[in-house]
Amino acid sequence: MSINSIEKFPTYLAIPPLKKDSMAGNGPFKASIEIQKDLGFPGEKVDNWQQVAINKIAETKSKYRSVQVFLDSCMKCGVCTDKCHYYLGTADPKNMPVARQDLFRSVYRRHFTFAGKYFPKLVGAKDFDEDMLDDWYNYFHQCSQCRRCAVFCPIGIDTAEISMAAREIMNAIGVGQKYPNQILGKINKIGNNLGMPEPALRDTLADLEEEIEEETGASVKLPLDIKNSEVLMVTPSADFFAEPHIDGLIGYAKVFHQSGVSWTLSSYASEAANFGMFIGNYDVMRQGALRIRKAALDLNVKRVVVGECGHAWRVAYSFWNTLTGLGSGGSDEYSLKLQNQLDSNYPQPQHMIEFTYDLIQRDKLSFDKSKNDHRVVTFHDSCNVARGSNMGDIENGQFILPREVIKAACNNFSDMHKSTIKSATFCCGGGGGLLTDDLIDLRIKGAKPRMHALKRSEQDNGVNTLAAICAICKSQFSKVLPNYDFDPYMIVSVHQLVSDAIILTKDSET
Amino acid sequence: MAEILGMEVDEEGYLLKVSDWSIEIANVMSEEDGIELSTEHWEVINFLQSYYKEYEFAPAVRVLTKAIAKKLGNDKGNSRYLYSLFPYGPAKQGCRFAGLPKPTGCV
Amino acid sequence: MSLISIFFTLFFYFSVLIFITGLSYKVVQYWNTPAPLKIPIAPAPLTKSGVFLRLAKEVFLFATLFKSSKWTWLFGWSFHLALVLLFFRHLVYFWPGEIPLILLKTEPLKYAAYPLIFGLIGLLGRRIFVDRVRYISAPSDYLMLLLIILIGASGMLMTFANNHPNMLLVKNFAEGLITFQWSELPKEAIFLAHIFPVFFLIAIFPISKLLHGPGIFFAPTLNQVDDARKKRHISNWAMQKEKNTKIDLDHNQDKGS
Repeated sequence: MSINSIEKFPTYLAIPPLKKDSMAGNGPFKASIEIQKDLGFPGEKVDNWQQVAINKIAETKSKYRSVQVFLDSCMKCGVCTDKCHYYLGTADPKNMPVARQDLFRSVYRRHFTFAGKYFPKLVGAKDFDEDMLDDWYNYFHQCSQCRRCAVFCPIGIDTAEISMAAREIMNAIGVGQKYPNQILGKINKIGNNLGMPEPALRDTLADLEEEIEEETGASVKLPLDIKNSEVLMVTPSADFFAEPHIDGLIGYAKVFHQSGVSWTLSSYASEAANFGMFIGNYDVMRQGALRIRKAALDLNVKRVVVGECGHAWRVAYSFWNTLTGLGSGGSDEYSLKLQNQLDSNYPQPQHMIEFTYDLIQRDKLSFDKSKNDHRVVTFHDSCNVARGSNMGDIENGQFILPREVIKAACNNFSDMHKSTIKSATFCCGGGGGLLTDDLIDLRIKGAKPRMHALKRSEQDNGVNTLAAICAICKSQFSKVLPNYDFDPYMIVSVHQLVSDAIILTKDSET
Repeated sequence: MAEILGMEVDEEGYLLKVSDWSIEIANVMSEEDGIELSTEHWEVINFLQSYYKEYEFAPAVRVLTKAIAKKLGNDKGNSRYLYSLFPYGPAKQGCRFAGLPKPTGCV
Repeated sequence: MSLISIFFTLFFYFSVLIFITGLSYKVVQYWNTPAPLKIPIAPAPLTKSGVFLRLAKEVFLFATLFKSSKWTWLFGWSFHLALVLLFFRHLVYFWPGEIPLILLKTEPLKYAAYPLIFGLIGLLGRRIFVDRVRYISAPSDYLMLLLIILIGASGMLMTFANNHPNMLLVKNFAEGLITFQWSELPKEAIFLAHIFPVFFLIAIFPISKLLHGPGIFFAPTLNQVDDARKKRHISNWAMQKEKNTKIDLDHNQDKGS
C-alpha cells in the first residue's frame, strides 16, 4: 500500500459509541491448583468465597489508603470515560475506567456503606454474586494498569490501584490468572520469568559475545555472576531471549564496555520484571525484590542498574526502597548494610538510560549517528516509566532522558502527537499481565490508539522506527504492528539505536 | 484436559510432558495450524529439541537463528525467515510442535 | 413554636451532627489508613512545595479537569466557585450578634446563582445526553444534581422574582440555630423547598460521593512527593512485618512469612 492510498487517521481516535458486552467473556486462562499453591493462594475457588472476598476487601482497604479513598470519592464526572485505550479500542462500556472501578465500588457500597446497605438501587450497589465475580475476572483482566485515566482524573483516582486490589482479592479466594501467576512461580524457583536456567543463560551470553566480536572486532563482554563488580545489571529476562530485546542487551554491553565500568549480570536475580505488582500482592512483589537485594549483597556491587523494562522500573524506582531498603534514607539493619556497600554518589537504583545519558553528558561516548540515518525514529513512552517513575531526578526526566539518548545516537527523531506521549502516552495494549496469547483479541484492539498516532507520524514525518524501553511493549508491538499494516521489525530497543551507532574502542587501542 | 493422539496437552495446546512427543504429534499440531512441515521446519524442530535436551530450556531466538544459519545458509538465518516458517513465532509455535513447554514472560 | 419550625430546627441539628461525626470519622479513617507505596502520578512533583502547588491548582482551579474535558471543567468549576461565593453570601444570616462590615457587602454575590445554575444544568445535560456518562450514572447521581438545582432555583425565585420571605424571620431562625435561641421560620413553601435540600445534603455528605471534597487531599497519587529513591517510605504494617520476621543478615534472608 502506498502512502497516498492510506486514509488519513485522525490524531485522536473518534470516541466510539457504547457497544455493550462487546468484550464479555470468560477472561484469560485461570491458574491451575499447583500454580496458585506455589504462591500461597488457595488452589481452587474456596467454598465460602463471598465471605472470604468481603473480608479481604475489608483488609485491603484498611491497608491501602488509595483503595479506601478512591472507592469513596468518585463523583462520576465521567471525564475518564474516553481516556482508556481498551475502551477506545473495544467500545465496551465496562472498559471505561470509572465503570471498571464501579465493578469494585458497587460491591464495596453494598457491603460497607450505609447507602449501599439500605438503598442499593439508588446508589448502584450490587451484591458480590457469581455474575459479579465473572465480570471482575473478565474486566479486571482487561486493564493494563497503565494509569492513563489517573492522569486525567480531577481527584487523582488511579484505576490501577483498584485493579490490583481486585486481582489480589480474587487470588485470595483461589481465582487467579495463569499467565502472571505461573511466571511468578518460575521467578521464585529459577530466578526469571522465562524459567531460563543458569547454563542456558551462560551459553546465550557467550554466544552474544562471539557475535559482537565478529561484527565489531571489539571484545565486548557480558559477564555473569562476577563478584565485586562495580555494577549489578538487572534486566528483564526477555532481553536474553526475545527479538528485538536482545539487541538492547547488546547495547547495554557496548555502553558498559565503553564506560570502563565493570559490571555483571546475576543468574540468581536474572529478572527485573516483577509481576507481583500486577496482582497487587505486596509480599510476592517483595519476594521478587528481595532476590535482587540478595544478589547485590552477594556479588558485593557498588551500584544497581536496571535495564529496559517498564513496570520493573516503576517497582525499582518507586518501590524497591520501600520493599527492601535498596535506596537511601532507611534506618533499618538491611538498609544500612546496603547503604554502606552501595556508592552514595549515584542514585540507587539507576536506570540504564540514566547510566548512558550520564556518559553522554560527560562526553564519554562517541557515536556515528549516520549509522541510524536510514531511520526516522519516534519514541513510545512506556506507561509505567512515564506515569510511575522518574529519571535523572529532574522534573519530567523520564520523558527527557530517553529522548536525549535517542537523539545522541540518531539524526532523525520525531515525536508522535502530544496528546499521545509523555504523561498522556497510550499503553501498547499488552501491559499489566495481559501479554498472553489468550488475550490477543484484546491486545490488538487495545493497541489501536497507539497505532493510530503512529500511523499519523508515519504519514506526516516518515517515521519508520518505533523505539521503546519496555520488554512488554517490544513484544506486544512485534505482535500487533502487522495488524495495523506496519512492519513488525520497526520496533527496537532504545539501546539498539545506541548499539548501532556507538563507536567502540578495540582492545588494541585501550 | 485436552489430548492430542492420546497425549495430554494444556489449554494452549502444549504437551504436558516432553517425553510424550512423537513425529505424529508434530504432524497433527502443524496440520491444525495449516502448516505442512518441510525439511526446514524439521531443522528448526530438531535444533530446538537437541538444545532443550542439553539446557532444559528453549534457545533464545538469536541462538536459534544462528544455528539455522549454519545449517541452512546465511540467507535463512534470520528471524524474518523463521517467522515465515512459524507465523505464530518460532519460539512459541516451534516449541509447541517440538513438544517443549511454552516460553513464558515478556516474550 | 410551630411543629414545622421544630421539625426544621431538629433536622438542622441532626444533619450537622451527622456531618460532623461522619466527616470526622472518614477523615480519621483516611488519615489512619497507610499508603504503603509511593504512587504519585505524573507529572509528579519532586518536592513538598511542588505537592502543595499541585494540590492548590487542583483545589482552586481544577487544573486536571481542565486538561481532561473543557466543557466539564467549565460546568464543574463555575458551579463549585458559585457555591463558595453563595456560602459567603449566606453567612450574614447565621452570624450571631454584630455583623462584620465585610458580610454586609456580600449582596452582589447573589449573582453567583447564575453560574451555579448554568454549571448544574450543564452537568445534568452531560449526564443525560453523553452516552458514556449516562452509563455510569446511578439514580443518586441525578438526584444530587436535581437537589442542588432545586436549592439554586428556589433561592433565585426568592431573590430575583420578588418572592422574599420575611427576612427578619429568616435572620432570627438562622441566627437562632447558631445561638440556640430558636425561633419560628418563614413558612412559605419556596423557602422550605430551599432549606430542606440544603439540610439533606449536609446530612448525606459523609455517606455519599460528596466525600470527593476531603478525598482529593488524601489521594496518594496527588499528595505524595516523588522521592522514593532518596527517602525510604514505609508503612507501619510493612515495617511491623519486617521487624516480626527477624532479618538474618548472615544468610541474607527474611525468616518466617
